[in-house]
Amino acid sequence: MAPITDENGWLRLVLECFRREAGSEAPLPDSSLDLIETGALDSMGWVSFLRALESASGVSDLGALLREQTPSLENTFLALKNARSGSPSSGAGPSSKHQPLTQSSAIIASSGAALGSRKIPSEEVDRAFGMPAGKLRLRAGIESLAYAAEDENELTLGARAAQRALRAAACGPQELDWIIATTETHRSYPSLAAQLHSQLLARETCGALDVGGACLGFVNALAVAQGLIASGHARTIAIITSDVHSRTFKPGRVAGEFGGLFGDGASAFLLRAKNGTRPRPAYGLGEFFFGCAGQYAGAIRVADAPNGNIDAHFDGEALSRAAITRLEKVVGDIELRSGIARSSLQGLATHQPNPRLVTLLAKQCGLPLEKFPVVARHFGNLGSSTCGVALDAILESASSLPADKWGAIFTASLGPGLLFGGGWLVPA
Amino acid sequence: MTRLLITEITRMGPAFCVIGLQRESGRIRSVRPVTSTANSWLHFPYRRGDVLRCDLSPFSGAKPHIEDRVTAHGFQKELAVPEPGVVAFLRRAEIAGSLADLFGCAIHENRNGGGLHAKPLEPVRSICGTETKNLRFELCANEPRATLVLSSGEVLRDLPVVDRDWRGFIDAALAEARGANRVHRLERFLNSQFHDKVLSCPHHFLRLGLTRPYHDLCWLMLDTLFPLPKQEWLEEF
Repeated sequence: MAPITDENGWLRLVLECFRREAGSEAPLPDSSLDLIETGALDSMGWVSFLRALESASGVSDLGALLREQTPSLENTFLALKNARSGSPSSGAGPSSKHQPLTQSSAIIASSGAALGSRKIPSEEVDRAFGMPAGKLRLRAGIESLAYAAEDENELTLGARAAQRALRAAACGPQELDWIIATTETHRSYPSLAAQLHSQLLARETCGALDVGGACLGFVNALAVAQGLIASGHARTIAIITSDVHSRTFKPGRVAGEFGGLFGDGASAFLLRAKNGTRPRPAYGLGEFFFGCAGQYAGAIRVADAPNGNIDAHFDGEALSRAAITRLEKVVGDIELRSGIARSSLQGLATHQPNPRLVTLLAKQCGLPLEKFPVVARHFGNLGSSTCGVALDAILESASSLPADKWGAIFTASLGPGLLFGGGWLVPA
Repeated sequence: MTRLLITEITRMGPAFCVIGLQRESGRIRSVRPVTSTANSWLHFPYRRGDVLRCDLSPFSGAKPHIEDRVTAHGFQKELAVPEPGVVAFLRRAEIAGSLADLFGCAIHENRNGGGLHAKPLEPVRSICGTETKNLRFELCANEPRATLVLSSGEVLRDLPVVDRDWRGFIDAALAEARGANRVHRLERFLNSQFHDKVLSCPHHFLRLGLTRPYHDLCWLMLDTLFPLPKQEWLEEF
């Protein structure tokens, strides 16, 4: 299915959001009728319906366009259509600022991943953190963790993943216009992007940019890269994620229930401007959207403590609840925005706080677990690299199929704050 | 007879929901007077700060509205307490600074649209006061919605504003007689003077409430915002 670009798409979005609010069994009222007067929605439900539409369409103040108008499906549809088409009749409301970037202006030419080369059974990690053996397996579903060897760090893992991606696309580092790096564990200068720039021997005029957001960093980086390509400022960009938690979240510095979840790994993606002469099929980037659900900010906070330890406040239960709720909501919003049914997906490259939560998320989303690549179960939570390693796995599995059998890919993640974001990729 | 300090008058469709403070065994707690036949009042001629004498009897209302009490013989007004005095009493009643403490239960966000809700059997009360670090009002299709930051730093987004006085103020600001561009003028006010007037007020305080179960969920609402709006503010925009 194509992303929403026409009237039918907007109409479908309005009806889908209405059904979500009123219930799937609720009869569809006549399009010109007042939804509140007729009792189809109460005033709270009406606002909730508008909020759902705003979230799904990217029109941030749809309510403003409906002031002094009958709250009907017809008026809602017209307001949404005007807002997204930039029609003059939309007045001062959102118009061009909400226009999506050119669809699939950027493609993923290749990808690569690199994991910490020491594979540690989770029971060994339990013991190191002073927890009963089997706790991580039983409570979080983690079977093993990928830990960096002595000679591995964010730079070496990131560079290894990047070289794989460059090789796969037959791209020399001198072609790169930007290196965009994201990490939640490399906290020194020169920054990771700058060090990767030197390590990969990119040309001097290639930019090096570090993007934050912790576990959301990869999705942030995709959106930044897409913007640079869509605006014509870059043609070839390497996105590199790299995280080595095992040296930061060590026994004695943080509690095992928190530190024991994390592993080490990296991923890299080569993005190129879409043109007509691609040597092979590829995925193109769709739209991305982001936000911050501050009501969950207290669920996770990590800071340096004065004694050299890490002050990690981690309310596991609240965080799990928030993560599932928000990820499911992001998946729902991607589905609405893209018009792509989740049942048709090639896979979902989501954050994987731990395998238990992935199972729960799959259940909540009504999707088979196989749609979520196995990352956290074998390697642990890889922080900003989880989504990247998952996406690399999906791309690899798709590459064994004929391109006309490829399904779309959703990506969604969270970061402390609670930051959230997501987007989609479609065969280009 | 009980003396009740009226602290909340909220708009619920065509009717009003009322909450007051009652002193009992040295404690100040919230009580919601209801009639024997309805949870709300179609006509309630009193104001916040009024101290009313009334007969209240226990009422086994459904959770989480444990504050419900039936009034048998109407109200008699005794006196009126000024706004800062009302807030001083509210600060001695139910109060919390974090999301988890507001209603003593988990608060969930709406998976579909806006707002937050609790599950009906989980809250330990249906009304709670709180201080805010920041507060924003916005209009969504003429419906006022509030976003606020609790003392804990947690952000509550997109709560419906049901405070009778603030709803009345917004209705008055949008009245046709106020001329052109009234929506934009009101939005400008909400984005500028509102912030100064409300947050810099020494008795700035608010109370959040839960709706009665609706489709098995109790929704969070901004029941009361002090300071209450003043008629003369309408002249400023």
